[in-house]
Amino acid sequence: MSNTNNNEVLLRVENLCQYFKMGSSELKAVDNVSFDIKKGEVFGLVGESGCGKTTTGRSIIKIYDITSGSIFFKGQRICAGTRSYKDAIKAAKKELRTADSARKAELEKIIADNTEAIRQAKFDHDHSDEEYAKTLVAKVEADYAPRFEEAKNDPAKLAELKKAYKEDLRVAKKTKLITNIQMIFQDPIASLNPRMTVREIIAEGLIINGIRDQKYIDEKVYEILELVGLVREHAGRYPHEFSGGQRQRIGIARAVIMRPDLLIADEPISALDVSIQAQVINLLNELRERLGLTILFIAHDLSVVKYFSDRIGVMYFGNMVELAPADELFAHPLHPYTRSLLSAIPLPDPHAEKRRTRITYNSLAEHDYTTDLPSMREVAPGHFVYCNDAEEQKYKKELGL
Amino acid sequence: MSKILEVKDLKISFRTTNGTLKAVRDISFNLERGKTLAIVGESGSGKSVTSKAILGILAGNSIIEGGEIIYDGKDLLKITEEEMCKIRGDRISMIFQDPLSSLNPIVKIGKQITEAMLLKNKGTRRSAREDFNSTLALLKESMISAAGGSDKEKIGELVTTFDKFNIEAIKLENDYNTARTAAEELVADIDEFIFMMEKKQKQDVKGRLKDFAAKLKTVRTPYLTKNYDSQLTTMSGELDRARASYQQIKGEGIQLSQEISELLAKLNTLLAELLAQPRPDFFRIGYYMLKNPGDDLSGRPVEEVNEMTLRYLEDNFMNEFIQLAEKGIAHSFNTSLEKKKALLPKLQKACEFYLGSFDKVSARKMLKEIADEVDASIDRLETSKDSIAYTFRTALDNAIDRYFTAIVKNPKEEARYAKQSKKRDALIARGKTVDWKVVPKVVYDLDELKANISAVVDNLILHYENHIAVADSVDFHARSIALVDYFKGKASQIVQHITKRMAKEKAIKLMTEVGIPEPRIRYYQYPFEFSGGMRQRIVIAIALAANPDILICDEPTTALDVTIQAQILELINKLKAERNLSVIFITHDLGVVANMADDIAVMYAGKVVEYGTADDIFYDPRHPYTWALLSSMPDLDTKEKLDAIPGTPPNMIYPPVGDAFAERNKYAMKIDFEQQPPKFEISPTHWAATWLLHPNAPKVEPPRIITDRIERMKKAGGID
Repeated sequence: MSNTNNNEVLLRVENLCQYFKMGSSELKAVDNVSFDIKKGEVFGLVGESGCGKTTTGRSIIKIYDITSGSIFFKGQRICAGTRSYKDAIKAAKKELRTADSARKAELEKIIADNTEAIRQAKFDHDHSDEEYAKTLVAKVEADYAPRFEEAKNDPAKLAELKKAYKEDLRVAKKTKLITNIQMIFQDPIASLNPRMTVREIIAEGLIINGIRDQKYIDEKVYEILELVGLVREHAGRYPHEFSGGQRQRIGIARAVIMRPDLLIADEPISALDVSIQAQVINLLNELRERLGLTILFIAHDLSVVKYFSDRIGVMYFGNMVELAPADELFAHPLHPYTRSLLSAIPLPDPHAEKRRTRITYNSLAEHDYTTDLPSMREVAPGHFVYCNDAEEQKYKKELGL
Repeated sequence: MSKILEVKDLKISFRTTNGTLKAVRDISFNLERGKTLAIVGESGSGKSVTSKAILGILAGNSIIEGGEIIYDGKDLLKITEEEMCKIRGDRISMIFQDPLSSLNPIVKIGKQITEAMLLKNKGTRRSAREDFNSTLALLKESMISAAGGSDKEKIGELVTTFDKFNIEAIKLENDYNTARTAAEELVADIDEFIFMMEKKQKQDVKGRLKDFAAKLKTVRTPYLTKNYDSQLTTMSGELDRARASYQQIKGEGIQLSQEISELLAKLNTLLAELLAQPRPDFFRIGYYMLKNPGDDLSGRPVEEVNEMTLRYLEDNFMNEFIQLAEKGIAHSFNTSLEKKKALLPKLQKACEFYLGSFDKVSARKMLKEIADEVDASIDRLETSKDSIAYTFRTALDNAIDRYFTAIVKNPKEEARYAKQSKKRDALIARGKTVDWKVVPKVVYDLDELKANISAVVDNLILHYENHIAVADSVDFHARSIALVDYFKGKASQIVQHITKRMAKEKAIKLMTEVGIPEPRIRYYQYPFEFSGGMRQRIVIAIALAANPDILICDEPTTALDVTIQAQILELINKLKAERNLSVIFITHDLGVVANMADDIAVMYAGKVVEYGTADDIFYDPRHPYTWALLSSMPDLDTKEKLDAIPGTPPNMIYPPVGDAFAERNKYAMKIDFEQQPPKFEISPTHWAATWLLHPNAPKVEPPRIITDRIERMKKAGGID
């Protein structure tokens, strides 16, 4: 796939943490993950099951309330967690008991800042859609003001314009920023409502968004059906009448009818038959070119991810351990986990398979993080690895830098 | 190489509300011992149906229209449910596709793994006892008749002694093996414990020390630890004391005292020394112990014991026994050979009879006549069963049955077809749109079916002739040794009494083997507490619990991710090598198969379309469907657009007249829509059913994406 040469960041994930309560303890499903997705690229997320890649995808689309960190979409903060601020306050309060007066003032400022940050985070988290709707409403108003001015003397035209204005305003008010992110799910059978026709399934998003014009909706549905390789007649049928590949096409149609900027594809081909997998990959590639989609591609099949993605992030137990352009990652894997992952890819070549040695990864034996804690570092341009100082030197040497 | 499982002309359909769905249409393959056969194809191609037919677990609406599945001298499609129960799970085991639906949600994992072990144990012991006794009785009989009636009492005594000491020896060996495994486990546990402590991981020190002490007790058994008894006693005392005096200091983290770490290191070296001892040969010791029950050999050096008991056994018993057994085997072989020779002209006559004209009654009568004699001519003392002779009766019965059924069915089928087409034509003539098709007629070729009957007999004649030709070169000494080994194997099954505790230990060992961390905690959990990969590992552990001959894997890794997939494939390969397991591996992912398979069968719409070794299929694929499968998935170097297979598989209620793949095949020719392609042989191990291989067909190159890849692979592998 061609690398897109544009640096406009569409989605920025900063220090994302997603913890789940498990009785008294907490499960750190995603822990301090940061990455950017640029406009027009396909960003692959790989890792074994339970490493938090699906949770990351779901957090981005706000299915979960995140614990800590922020997610920016088109420059606006859509998700924000408060845990990190709360921790800072707690630490400051603890220190406050023993601190001297100069330090005390400093600490009190920290507390006040963080309290403000919490308030801001909560506001952003809850009101990002409203804020977005407000900008849209303002845009509609700005749009109509000169036209009202123009039609001031023509009552018939004015009435018509007013009607259109009302309609647009209503849609604008209902529009949510989050609808610009859409998701395709893994299992096409489980993700389609068996009691709804394909038309209803695909049009649901539009209706929720406030569009009432049935003719417009129908036209849209037909258009999108043809786009994903189905035909108009399919609109009246129920999901059970379709094969696995066609059902996944319906799932894709439901997602792209909202004309999203970002598509989160959560293992879209794992549940499909071989011959159908290729059809779906080809379809996603085609849609990406025609609609200019940006895709977050979550999968565990590395050959497919390599084929489809521009950049790849490798996750291991809630952490991002390596992030690099696809070719670079496969040519020079640095983190031992990535190496172990790459060594496990099955190839359609019996002789190569017989020679293959699988590298096992044991995080305890591999790293010594007792004194020097690791972080995400840029070892080569665009190539990030989760490592500490000693390892960074080692990796750089390996790359010949 | 010996065939362990043979599938011949298998045909299976399903009754559905819309008509009969033809799921499997005439497939045949052989599974060799210790090899892996991969069956590849997309869903609905009949791969799973085939595997379910082997296990006898087809759905209720299935119809087996014909064919044979031969295993261990039996036709699995014909035997009773009771007999099937002894084979299913015990000899042939299966790993299912969906781990969630093959586990019981309300039973703990541990119980599910041990359930089969405990249930099957009793049955296995009983049937092993039966086999042991019946074969020994046969041997005794033939030994006596070989000796011409003299020495009857002596032979009787020898056989009884053989029976007794075998069991005695295996009991001793069982104890020894259990203790040895316990010692090995203890070494691994201590190593892991020390490693975790060094890495500052949280550990329950007191609990672990208690575990070690408990395990140390199970290590002690005469032949392994007799010389180390005093050392072990002090060791376990010290362990107990260390545990009692251990205290964790709050806030300091967990640390081991100097004393404990030294103690553990010392224990490990001691155990390593223990394990380095050579193995005593219990087969010999068993005999010695039977004759001298008071003696205790356990304290002496192993080499000396082995040497002494060997001499004792050979001088007093074995030489004589082997000699007699050899004679007995030769006698049994020669009698069976004579019978075979005498049978040949009769078989010839039967063959001619079946070529001529006959009716149902006379055909059956003939069958009964010759099948009884064939049964009698089998040499029952042969350890590897001769499947052609063993299944002769059922094979012939089936062939006759099929012929007479076809005589009745064909006219009915013709009439139905004529009626339906007439109705359809009439509707069309009236100008109506008809949205249904006429079900194609299934008419059997009577001449072919008739020829099949005599072919079965002919096959046996050929087999017997070969047998007689090589009769002079049979090594009876080797066969008598093999027979003794067979007895040993059966004896070990007889004494293997599995208690609940042993089953638990075995289950935990299996769980560790399949890569489940903390198996002792996991043992008491329910399936919902496991992730998908872990559940599949449990399913594999259950399948392996009974130590089967054949393992059928139905898409075992489809639901798993790469690292775990690689681990599980390696696990299956390792187990295959260790246990000489034969594997049928069903998948839709050709990439997975490359490392696993020795032979590959590519299936489409209920038929095998290409068959060959792994090298044949990956380096020289010939069928367009194989091309399509190979080119539809990207590999690490793929850049171009993928060649997706258009459309979906055909509806098998109306199977296509010609090649089933023709509609989705861009290389399809006119004949593909009219006539089914026969098998074209490319090499002795490789054939494909496509008209493209016909001499008159135009030359077609496989898609670029494949030729490029093969080129690349050959370059990387250094093959020309």
